Amino acid sequence: MSAIDRVTAPFERFTQTHASRMASAVIVAVLAFLWLPIGVLVFMSFADGGVLSFPPDQLTLRWYRVFLSNDAALDAIVTTLTISIPATGITVALATMIAYAVDRYVFPGRSWLQLLATLPIIVPLVVTGIAMVLFFNGTLGLPDYVSVVIAHVIRTIPFATLVILPTFMSFDRGLEEASKDLGADEFETFRQVTLPNVFPGVVAGGLLAFTLSFNEFVYTYFVKGSGDPTLPVYIWNQIRYNVTPEVNVISVVFLAVAVSMVLAAVSLTRVDLIARR
Amino acid sequence: MTESSRSDGENAAESESGGTVDATDREMAAPDDGVATTDREVATDGGTASGIDARVSDLTAFLRDRPRLRTLSIAGPPYGILVFFFAIPLLAMLVVSFQADQIGGAWTLRNYTDFLTSETYLTVVWRTFLLSVQVTAIVAAVGYALAYSIVRFSRRTTLLLLLVILPFWTSYIIRMYAWINILQSDGVLDSILNLVGLPALSLLYTETAVLIGFTYVWLPLAVLPFYASLTNLDADLIEASKDLGAGPIRTFLSVTLPMTINGVITGVVLVFIPTFGSFITPRLLGGTNNVMIGMVIENQFKSAFNWPFGAAIGMVISVVVVALLVLATRLGGGLFGTGGETS
Repeated sequence: MSAIDRVTAPFERFTQTHASRMASAVIVAVLAFLWLPIGVLVFMSFADGGVLSFPPDQLTLRWYRVFLSNDAALDAIVTTLTISIPATGITVALATMIAYAVDRYVFPGRSWLQLLATLPIIVPLVVTGIAMVLFFNGTLGLPDYVSVVIAHVIRTIPFATLVILPTFMSFDRGLEEASKDLGADEFETFRQVTLPNVFPGVVAGGLLAFTLSFNEFVYTYFVKGSGDPTLPVYIWNQIRYNVTPEVNVISVVFLAVAVSMVLAAVSLTRVDLIARR
Repeated sequence: MTESSRSDGENAAESESGGTVDATDREMAAPDDGVATTDREVATDGGTASGIDARVSDLTAFLRDRPRLRTLSIAGPPYGILVFFFAIPLLAMLVVSFQADQIGGAWTLRNYTDFLTSETYLTVVWRTFLLSVQVTAIVAAVGYALAYSIVRFSRRTTLLLLLVILPFWTSYIIRMYAWINILQSDGVLDSILNLVGLPALSLLYTETAVLIGFTYVWLPLAVLPFYASLTNLDADLIEASKDLGAGPIRTFLSVTLPMTINGVITGVVLVFIPTFGSFITPRLLGGTNNVMIGMVIENQFKSAFNWPFGAAIGMVISVVVVALLVLATRLGGGLFGTGGETS
């Protein structure tokens, strides 16, 4: 036994004996770190005094009522939806095309297409955000609404593609061959064989694209000029200039959207496909 | 495919787009293709084809004999949109960064020389870099410990993974706002410390607050590549290491960590890059003493309205990021692999 081994041996023995307990401790501690702030937000949305006092004197639904009668906040939700819903539709169509093309065909520029579909995750948001405002608003002179929808599409394509592509790859291509042998053409095969098989993955990709678009802030903040704010932009202004306890209620709205969408997506596809990489 | 038969095909498609389904026309499109002919007969025999269906099946028949056109029709639109609305804007930013004061101004290098010779800005870049390194190190250590604990010691992996990634899908700003609630003076943390008789910390607007905020938002993102690489690790290797007499720590350092290093690099890149460019977290949690370079860019666009200067800073950030990406791919991070590789 070397000198180093003599020193490390007790630690090795300790780790050996307590490995399982150490792992549980890590899991509990990190999950608490991840979920306690969210719990605090939900709890504080019922606090009478709002943001500044903890623990609250009493619990109330008052801020929910304030929120429901606040036209600015409700308008922000509508604005967000008028952007997120079309952006999600476009993203799902494009991501499905990317998945189909990359999985089924070998063509020059195939790896470039994959790179292009992944890069928006990697380039810092602020860089793409300013590039878009310069090009869309500065060079092309696109209307705000069109610019924002395109920006959301670019933002959500990588995530939708990462969810949809593996569904195509894991789908048994023999079924498509069989369909074609039985006389169906490519489109019929796609509609009657391929699409039903990859549909769960496509819907999961769409749900995640919608969630991401509903939450999108940085691109929206740069590209959208002085028009109606989306909900994240509205919250940003609130937090920076005049925080009211109502912000806690809006947080609950964000949470509800995220949790329901992600749970629906997970029920349709493998959990590790969601937000991987 | 010869020129003449291609033009036949086009004629066929044109005549049929009027809505008539004519089997003879279609046979003319590719008369020497026996299998294709059978396809069409079956399609016609199906008898259910409405006007739209007929037109679509004509289109697919037309495209089948033109593999290039078919690939183009599927890969073309997403390719075009990504190039035109993502790649070209980044190039446009490069162009604008060489213009004086405003878009369309005179050509100049001044944006770059001003930025790179200003001690204030370089200090901000250096601080941003150090902070990003700290955030990345914390997230990598905590995230890896978590992924390792889940993969090696837990049976409910799906549920735990779900609990880890769910917060990632909630609005970034809301997650920062949660920490404002907790860290501000007389906030949740101070109130709890008060209750147990400890002094208040008032962490909001300190560097610690920024570190906590970044760790919180990036942890779920980093756990996924760590998790993927640990799941792919062959458990027999760990057994072999133990059989050869290595303890758990030694096994971890000589087998597990080296075998999962690609996942680690991927996670590190995914955390470092967005931290380096971030402005939300430092603005909301860091106050005025913890300025990061993303905040300077935001300021140029939203307050100072000096877009070319902001674009130049954006280019400098991009150069740093690209250099890091090249380094990471050299070290073996699998960022641009085909989608199936990491599963």
